[in-house]
Amino acid sequence: MKKKLLATLLAATTLVAATTGCGSNTGDTSKTGGTSSDEDITITMMVSGVASENDFETEQLPELIHEKFPNVTLEVTKLPDDQYYTALKTKLASGECPDIILVQPKYAGSNSVIELAKAGYLMDLSDLSCLEKTGDAANEAFSYDGKVYGIAQGVSILGTYYNKNVFEENGLSVPTTWDEFLNCCEVLKNAGIQPIVMGDKDAYVMQFGLYQIAANEIYPNDATYDDKLRTGETKFTDEGTWDKVLEMYGELYEKGYVIDSSLGLGAAQGIQMFVDGEAAMTFDGSFNAAALCEEGAVSFERGYFPLPATNGDTYASMAPGAGPAVYAETKYPDQVKEILEYWFDGESPVYQAYADTGRFIVTYGYGADKNDPLFDSFLDLYNEGKAWYWCNQAWPAGTENEMEALFGSMIGGQGTTVDDITSGMQTMLESLLEE
Amino acid sequence: MKKSKVREKSLVMPTRMYWFAVPALILFVVFWVYPVFQMFYYSITNFNGVNYDYDFVGVRNFQSIVKDGSLVNGIKNTFIYTIIIVVISNVVGLALALLLNLKLKGKSIFRTLVYLPALFSPIVVGFIWSYVYMPGSGMLSSIIELFGMDGTKLNLLGDFGKALYAITAVDIWKNVGTTMIIYLAGLQTIDDSLLEAGKIDGCNEWKLITKVKLPLISATITINVVLNVIAGLKAFDYSFIMTNGGPGKSTQTLMYIIFNTAFNKQMMGKASALSVVSFIIIIAITILMLRFMNKREVEF
Amino acid sequence: MKKHLSRTAVYLILCVYSFVTFLPLLIVVSSSFRNPHNLTSPLKLFSEFTLESYITAFTKMNFLGELFNSVLTTAGSVVIVVLIATMAAYPVSRIKKKTSRFLYYFFIAGLVIPSQMVIVPIAQVFGALNIPNTRFTPMIMFITCSLPFSTFLYVGFLKGVPVSLEEAAFMEGASLWRRYRTVVFPLIKPATVSTVITQGLWIWNDYFFPMVFISKREQYSLPVGMLQFLGDKENPAQWNVLFASCVLCALPLVLVFIVLQKQFINGIAAGAVKG
Repeated sequence: MKKKLLATLLAATTLVAATTGCGSNTGDTSKTGGTSSDEDITITMMVSGVASENDFETEQLPELIHEKFPNVTLEVTKLPDDQYYTALKTKLASGECPDIILVQPKYAGSNSVIELAKAGYLMDLSDLSCLEKTGDAANEAFSYDGKVYGIAQGVSILGTYYNKNVFEENGLSVPTTWDEFLNCCEVLKNAGIQPIVMGDKDAYVMQFGLYQIAANEIYPNDATYDDKLRTGETKFTDEGTWDKVLEMYGELYEKGYVIDSSLGLGAAQGIQMFVDGEAAMTFDGSFNAAALCEEGAVSFERGYFPLPATNGDTYASMAPGAGPAVYAETKYPDQVKEILEYWFDGESPVYQAYADTGRFIVTYGYGADKNDPLFDSFLDLYNEGKAWYWCNQAWPAGTENEMEALFGSMIGGQGTTVDDITSGMQTMLESLLEE
Repeated sequence: MKKSKVREKSLVMPTRMYWFAVPALILFVVFWVYPVFQMFYYSITNFNGVNYDYDFVGVRNFQSIVKDGSLVNGIKNTFIYTIIIVVISNVVGLALALLLNLKLKGKSIFRTLVYLPALFSPIVVGFIWSYVYMPGSGMLSSIIELFGMDGTKLNLLGDFGKALYAITAVDIWKNVGTTMIIYLAGLQTIDDSLLEAGKIDGCNEWKLITKVKLPLISATITINVVLNVIAGLKAFDYSFIMTNGGPGKSTQTLMYIIFNTAFNKQMMGKASALSVVSFIIIIAITILMLRFMNKREVEF
Repeated sequence: MKKHLSRTAVYLILCVYSFVTFLPLLIVVSSSFRNPHNLTSPLKLFSEFTLESYITAFTKMNFLGELFNSVLTTAGSVVIVVLIATMAAYPVSRIKKKTSRFLYYFFIAGLVIPSQMVIVPIAQVFGALNIPNTRFTPMIMFITCSLPFSTFLYVGFLKGVPVSLEEAAFMEGASLWRRYRTVVFPLIKPATVSTVITQGLWIWNDYFFPMVFISKREQYSLPVGMLQFLGDKENPAQWNVLFASCVLCALPLVLVFIVLQKQFINGIAAGAVKG
């Protein structure tokens, strides 16, 4: 009995020592390894996504964590978005929530950091030292009430993928203004080439184009536009805001630049048509770069540019990526923090493996200088501060669904006008804010 | 039927037999009925599915599902879906069952082929069919191009007027095998002597079907119709997987709207209000139908 | 001559129908034999032949482990469903009282509610009862959700079974439980076959409850394992692997169906017709 007590005490002291030690001295891996606790523990983690080959979260991470902390078994499950949302909600309801979960910045999606923190499900991570490296913008996006509740995994980009070979053959260069962009489309169309393909059957892809336009047309004029939406000072129906964005995007459909049958194509089919060289451009995110660069029916060189949806300076649409947060009721708060600290320290083997996946555009430490050259022009804008977050991150979840459904009606020829869309969005926003 | 006998012999069937139902009732009440009532309760709150700090809002959720048109749209789409499924699945399923009940060589191969789609998960089925329907180079487009028509114009899932019918067809494709099997089973219980008698009376094949076979399998018809009605009213998978309720809102069924409201828009209260209304509609239809169809067989 | 002609017509109809039904499945089969990275249109049928997608699916799903879990939970759930649904149906079908009528409709009402609608309150019940997440947790919901239909089927079937045998057993002094076990249960075997088949099929294919109530990968069943190949907004699906895994998941069912086809149809015959 006495022996057991002693052992527990010992374990507790070493634990405290290890946590504090790790916080200040992340580089030194040899000493802290394996001493944090004598007990074998299992920490669970649930993330959204699809397991790839030699997957980072489900294969590499548990292994590397186990190497560093031999007594810790990290059990990771990965589910596609929709399933993840459902599973997360039910696991929170049943109290069987995994220790580490993936949350999205601000208000985005059903796993938004603000909603979860507000409900008291997340642990305050403000004292993690790795937050100094992730940067203020990223931490801001994962804050609620002045405390940080999640760690951004790099940044994600929305941009325009294009077929360099087709552009060259038609004497086109990367457009820098909206007029040039429209001209590119016109030239391609006249040459008998489909300028843009989108898989609008999966309506979320509409966001890929619309948010790029909004980043140029709305936020540069009013950086607090979205904040004011919540107080009612601004409205979606305000002239020169979303009506303009929707008008511009609608023009691409009206003129036949976007493929006619887009509403019947799935996102995967859209990607595939681009890869097969059947269209010269597509709007998509950095997260889909690997799929868009797969070998298709024809081989060609890919390029990626921020949509110049203005005739002034171009702004990019970039956002901190979804990242891990800790369940407030976790049994192992210290060990979990230790793991996160190690993971995001910028140099540990875990961080290196994470950066090497190429799925995240890392902003500091190992690998920050060797991101895919496709993203260079975006990162330049990002560093100049010429980048805006994705609109839905600032909206209550569900607003974008209404926008997609109504925009679909407009391009599907149902007589829906731009004004119908903006007023529908405003109604949805108000009813969501009322909750 | 045999009920007169039972009533006299209450000793054989004592009331304490009800104890047999207790295990099932416990599970059913704890894990199904109680949660359903909990959901009814949420329908008058603004619960968002995550935060338990919610308020009562009275009938506001019910007003809002009427006002924003989601209820009417959902009911309309669900009813169209259900009617098509019930009619086509039963007609095709019955026709196939009649054919496959003949003495044919290789009928077990045909049965397996017809039933095969039922074994696949809806996720995969949805994906395959999005390639069947894909405009331009999809399977259907390629086929009609063989006949000299323009395949690029065939955009079923992207067409507001056709998408709902297109996903209904997928559901039928997947489930007609099950309906067929149940009919087949029903047909096999028909006594051969009755058919022989019919033939002697000079019935042709058509008359034999309508006058002898169909009346004899009326119970099977009940089962199939009820199952298809319930499946139709609960339709969710293909709106969710293939069209996301789109284009626009043209393929949003009741269950899709409920799911979307609860899990994407985070309005559990409003979704519950929709659930309550759908529940009442479905149960009313089911009970009415069961009563109507059971009348001819067993009194219950 | 006429008969010969009509026979040919029947074959023709069946062949055309089966072909049309099978055509979409060709996409699955052909794609599953592709390399996982071959993203060209799946409509170019059988453009290559490799088992790589199957190997990926097999190893990444931990196929044998998940198969074991699937068989275990499916078989376990079905056995329990059969047991308690027959028990519930027995008094409901035998006693002619308002209570029976109420119970009958009570169970049927459960038939019409899809689980997505009530999953959050269900999860709350699990939390309140402190039910841990294990391999067997989803079985609770499999059983609960199968009860309405099974009871519905059994009640219908039992009403058609004469009570004379039970009366005979009663005269010999058999207890209620004994009568249920030795007389009633064997008599309703055909309905049991259809319950096993219809409920076994959805339980086998269901990913929803295992996804929600299991948190360790080694406890996953086949359909949840398949989910990892499904794409989402930020991740393209690995369709070829998904197809291969889908074939792997359906294969046991196809084999069972082919072998048991006859019992299957007879079973449903007996069960459904009298329902």
